[in-house]
Amino acid sequence: MTVKQLIDKVFLTEILKGMALTFKMMLSKPVTIQYPDEKRKIYPGFRGKHAFVRDAKTGRQKCIMCMKCVNICPSQCISLKKGRDENNKPFLERYDIEALRCIYCGYCVEVCPVCALVLTEDFGYCSYTKDAIFFDKDKMLKNWDEFVAKLSGDVYWNKFWRPDGVDIAKMPKSKREQAPVPIRPTAAVPSDTVPEKEPVNPAEKPPEPAANVEEKPEEKKEVV
Amino acid sequence: MDISSFYGFLGTDTTDFILRMIIMVAKIAVVIVIALLHVAYSTWFERKIIGHMQIRLGPMRVGYHGLLQPFADFVKLFFKEDIIPSSGDRPVFQLAPMIALFATISSLAVIPFFNDFVIAKNMNVGLLYLFAMSSLSAYGIILAGWSSNSKYAFLGGLRSSAQVISYEIALALSLVGIMVLSGSLNLVEIIEAQQKHWYGMYVVVQFPAYILFLICAFAETNRTPFDLPEAESELVAGYFVEYSGMRFSLFFMAEYIAMIIMSCIAVTCFWGGWTLPPVVMKALPFLAVVPGLVWFLLKVYCHLFLFYWVRATVPRFRYDHLMSLGWKVLIPLALANIVITSIVKFLF
Amino acid sequence: MLKKKELSINMGPQHPATHGVLRLVLELDGETVVKCTPHVGYLHRGTEKLGENRTYPMALPLTDRLDYVSSMSNNIGYCVAVERLLGIEAPARAKYIRTIMAELTRIANHIVWIATHALDIGAMTVFLYSMRDREWILDLYEMVCGARLTVTYPRIGGVRCDIDQEFMDSCYKFIEDFPKRIEEYETLIDQNRIWLQRTVGVGIISAADAINWGLTGPTLRGSGVAYDVRKAAPYDAYDQIDFEVPVGKNCDVYDRYRCRMDEFRQSISIIKQCLDKMPDGLVLASEAPPYDMPIGKPRVMPGHPMGEILPGELVEEKVPFDELYSATEVPKGELGFYFVNDGTARPYRMRIRAPSFVHASVLPKLCEGSLVADVIANIGTIDIVLGECDR
Repeated sequence: MTVKQLIDKVFLTEILKGMALTFKMMLSKPVTIQYPDEKRKIYPGFRGKHAFVRDAKTGRQKCIMCMKCVNICPSQCISLKKGRDENNKPFLERYDIEALRCIYCGYCVEVCPVCALVLTEDFGYCSYTKDAIFFDKDKMLKNWDEFVAKLSGDVYWNKFWRPDGVDIAKMPKSKREQAPVPIRPTAAVPSDTVPEKEPVNPAEKPPEPAANVEEKPEEKKEVV
Repeated sequence: MDISSFYGFLGTDTTDFILRMIIMVAKIAVVIVIALLHVAYSTWFERKIIGHMQIRLGPMRVGYHGLLQPFADFVKLFFKEDIIPSSGDRPVFQLAPMIALFATISSLAVIPFFNDFVIAKNMNVGLLYLFAMSSLSAYGIILAGWSSNSKYAFLGGLRSSAQVISYEIALALSLVGIMVLSGSLNLVEIIEAQQKHWYGMYVVVQFPAYILFLICAFAETNRTPFDLPEAESELVAGYFVEYSGMRFSLFFMAEYIAMIIMSCIAVTCFWGGWTLPPVVMKALPFLAVVPGLVWFLLKVYCHLFLFYWVRATVPRFRYDHLMSLGWKVLIPLALANIVITSIVKFLF
Repeated sequence: MLKKKELSINMGPQHPATHGVLRLVLELDGETVVKCTPHVGYLHRGTEKLGENRTYPMALPLTDRLDYVSSMSNNIGYCVAVERLLGIEAPARAKYIRTIMAELTRIANHIVWIATHALDIGAMTVFLYSMRDREWILDLYEMVCGARLTVTYPRIGGVRCDIDQEFMDSCYKFIEDFPKRIEEYETLIDQNRIWLQRTVGVGIISAADAINWGLTGPTLRGSGVAYDVRKAAPYDAYDQIDFEVPVGKNCDVYDRYRCRMDEFRQSISIIKQCLDKMPDGLVLASEAPPYDMPIGKPRVMPGHPMGEILPGELVEEKVPFDELYSATEVPKGELGFYFVNDGTARPYRMRIRAPSFVHASVLPKLCEGSLVADVIANIGTIDIVLGECDR
């Protein structure tokens, strides 16, 4: 045992060094984030609450009922029902995501050929009932509205719609041509439409089930 | 309280007796209330200190920077269900936390807080009484471990009894040097004896004994690194694993009061109690206006801080290492200290 | 007459030091452990069976849930295994990204390990310092793939999306700053006499025993066996990276602790090399299977477990009719995937060789004859996660 080792042993050098470190740390700034009051930065592409992108043209979801997300979902939490209206046109009768079963892998977002689905960067949702976290198609659209209301920019782009570094040649055309989604319809509409038409648009929205489905089979053909 | 003063007590007329009684009860009440407030705020202080040492904030929600947290905790513990294990030994289970708490609280009787403010003033076996009481609180722990009828609690109780017994010896021996130097067991006299020297604190001449005392005090109060009886990673919570609500909080209070008492003993025996060293008073005479209680409390708080600081830094001992440290290192060192102190005292 | 009887204690499944739901039945003679019996299975979720009912891309998120502390490594191990089965080669850029991610995961895992190990031994502060640094890695994950814990970032044939400049910069900053953080942990425990008393000479397992018990990873290397899948059977970019495999000498808890601490530094060096050498290009192989991979018909007759094999012209093989064992080095040891395939896009049998399971089995060997406190040190040193152990 050298003299230094002896000194270290008698004078508890290493413990004193540790105590010096803890004392130094006591004077440094804590790293705690006081959660509900202050929030940390959420990076773009965070896989959170589910939402349907509200199409600026139709005001409805863009889903074409291709069933890809339903088939791919590893936890099988998506269910979809295709209905037929009086003209025998298919329309999205039900689209349910049981978010409590979801594992947030984001496969559905990536596989959707029309970029209709998105896992938003909204993570703080909870409720006392299961029903509130069971998302049907209306709730999915509502989630989207709530989400975009919090965004600052004019457009929204989810990086899993068309991931960087992946060969886009194999993607469907609609996905290749997908542009960032405008999220400020009220800001865009007055500039190129006459203000008189504005009150008409919201009025038209409610009676959709039959009206807006007409376009969808065409979109589907593009995909296939 | 020595015998002669007790008889003197009875000898006076009745009104005087009642007056003395009232003053005594008032003193006890003040000390206990202040001690319990200190317990409450030493938990807050601990959580804050350790929190900041671990680069987090500690309690922040209840009141400004969590200042009301101790009261919130109290309310929670008070209204929690008191669970008694059905196969446990019911009366002993209920008795154990009380023993632990009363043994520690009664230690407060001999602590001189400032200028002769002592509940039992002329207790000329003050230090012995303190040792006796801290040993007594081990009964609470052992009985709690036994009566819970739980294996983890039982192991915790066993560990605690072995630990307290072996460290009690080293603790007492480390203070023998002080007794030799001051020639008294009365805590007030120990402080007065320190004032006779220019340095005014025995820690200057008894530094090794002070370190020994501190180590033993950590062990005696079951604090990290000697918190084996309640080692949460091994025994979940040790002896009070089955306790809940108010009974749990009695143990909790007992632990914190024990910590405060150990700090008080350290301050009284090694740091001159409520006094400042004569050399300092000579150099800075204006400090005389500060009441002695302030110095006493400051010194106690520094010791409490040390308790927390060490807790935030070191890992936990293993049982056999703890025993060998106690018996093979601390007790021989304490004995050596006694011998050297006696020789030096004899020669000079 | 007084009878002598061992005290039998259930340590776990609810116990703060058993890293989840491990249950150890300890027979105690005083404080000495006479017998130790590990019980596993409290977290069994049937991952293997679930994997057999999903196509290869769909089973990938399941592997996140194996060792949830180092999910990225499990993903990579699974992807490497399936790529080997399908004969796909990931592009160079994807390989380098994966190597970075695997090493970040190794750091994150060892951070959790040092945190819990030190906490078990009583050094609470190390726990919080290391959690502070783990947060940094989780932020890096989130930056690149949008999830912090269950990442599902790699995919068969590459990775899901490219890394950007922001990630590269943060990563550089991380590897510059992190060595200081390691020194902080070491200041608190490395030379601390209590830590040394608790770890040196505790939980000794000789090199021969360690190999016989099937230990892998740092738990094996602490016994002086320089076996590392990254060196022995390189995958991803490990064959183009220069790194060392730290080994121990004394086969005890302290040496395994040193091994992992040295691996921190090796991982940093690997990440640095990968960032410097990062090639350009795509991150997904062109022949990589899509997520909605068609399942196809099996080449074996139904009802016969791998019995009658149909000729190739009758059935189009989606995946080679083959079996394969593929191992990767995850932070805890060797993670192996064994697939038996019947020609469909689903494995006929999927078997996961989880290092935690093997390591949990060695606990009796390590613990018997030692003290209760050493059991805690031993659970910490083998670095198990019950999600992986119970699968």
